[in-house]
Amino acid sequence: MNETLTVLLESLVIGGLIGFGASAGVARMFHAPKVQGMGAFRTLGELNACQNDPVAHFSFGLGFLFNAWSSAVGTGALTSDVDHRIVPHWSAAVAMAKNRNLDATLHNPRRMALTGTVVGMLLVTLLNTTAASIPHSLQEVAAQVLGPASEWLINPVMPIIFWMAAVDAGRRTGAWGTVLGGLGHLVMGNAVPGIVLGIVIGKGVDDLGWTKVTKSLAGVVIALFVASTFLRGVDITLLEQMKVHIPHWLTQLHDTTGTKPQ
Amino acid sequence: MTDTSTAAAGGIPAQNSGAPEARSGFLSRVPGEGSFWLAEWAFPVFVACLAAGIFTGTHLYYVYDTGVFNDVAVASMLKAGMQNGSYGAAAAFGAGFLFARIIEGPMVGILDIGGSLQTGVGIGIPAMLLGAGFTAPLQHFWLAVPVGALLGGLIGIAIVVIRRATVNSTGGTSTFGADVMMGAGNSAGRYLGPLVIISAATASLPVGLGSTIGALLFYKWQKPLTGGAIIGAMLAGLFFPIPGK
Repeated sequence: MNETLTVLLESLVIGGLIGFGASAGVARMFHAPKVQGMGAFRTLGELNACQNDPVAHFSFGLGFLFNAWSSAVGTGALTSDVDHRIVPHWSAAVAMAKNRNLDATLHNPRRMALTGTVVGMLLVTLLNTTAASIPHSLQEVAAQVLGPASEWLINPVMPIIFWMAAVDAGRRTGAWGTVLGGLGHLVMGNAVPGIVLGIVIGKGVDDLGWTKVTKSLAGVVIALFVASTFLRGVDITLLEQMKVHIPHWLTQLHDTTGTKPQ
Repeated sequence: MTDTSTAAAGGIPAQNSGAPEARSGFLSRVPGEGSFWLAEWAFPVFVACLAAGIFTGTHLYYVYDTGVFNDVAVASMLKAGMQNGSYGAAAAFGAGFLFARIIEGPMVGILDIGGSLQTGVGIGIPAMLLGAGFTAPLQHFWLAVPVGALLGGLIGIAIVVIRRATVNSTGGTSTFGADVMMGAGNSAGRYLGPLVIISAATASLPVGLGSTIGALLFYKWQKPLTGGAIIGAMLAGLFFPIPGK
């Protein structure tokens, strides 16, 4: 089969699936915490910011369509904004075009899921099939401008934002966030997951004390860090850099499990 | 899907919405509490759909070089593995995010799509599979869809189970710092625009100039600054291509 046709057909299926799931999850966010939702805090905030105005929803999504599109051109990556911003906002815009009642549109998982399916199919197909027809000089700009910019956002800008939020949230949260953030960058290459877990533990202990729930939470997080350390071979690198003799059995264990540092 | 669809065919008006909505039919009817759309067990179904789409998007990227649902920086980790065979960075980064979000999701009532599904299922798990030599789920479309759905279903079930053990258990009244992370997440998006302008100005002078003017115009029109910075950089790059290395 022709390659473009294959990409087109597969994109229709993929777009339908993500549109259905993401839009239903987003509508359910408005019923949280009673109902488990799916999306992101920033998605919720941004949807609330333009609630009740289909034009605001549409133009917000349009801004990020260009972001996703130019990213797809150069690198084939559609950006995480597709599920977080474009699909939710355009589904909301379509749903609200005739009816501004939030209960029946943005907060209604059935309406959002079915609208989102169509939006997702069109959007993902557009992004995947038209990206290749963009002039080469534009691909160059997307790769050389957007690439570094989003790399900086993930590291170091986002870690710093989350770090400051953890530090400002109280002494216990700041301490957990700092320790797990620093270790997180060492063993995972990015501090954000560590800081988020630090906030969860710190705030959980602030609110509940050291109960069974918070204790097992902390235990699971420590296990995660130990496992990541071993899987990425960070222990070997650490011993090497401290000029400590590496025991033979440890080297062999990493050799047999294929977890030597790169 | 459930009995609600047959009820809609009869044109029964919605219980919660006002009179004008009664005529707009099936789509506008508000599902009541306990219906499929707001049920606890429906959550794994929605996660399965989204995860199937995201995992299959990674298949498209693996075979046709387009379609992965993630940011350039994260996708490039997987790309590095596809080129030189070392998937460690992508696998550890993705798995770390996935794990963190599965713990966080039930506590705060919102599962973060970016960390859990786009980075975990879209980057981390494919990197693990490829690192271990299982290329089939990423080579074949018809295998990618069910594998993604299965992964999503398992994540959804894990969330529901943790939720019952923590937030919905008796005496649990903590949001586990949801507000703190919400604030940080909201402010993170604001940084992208200035970063794009700095990056554009580093790439070449005309592109940097275009990016700055685009951002200014979008700011004046009260649109997201990021969009203007990107469009301005691209327009300038079209007329003044970035000199090759």
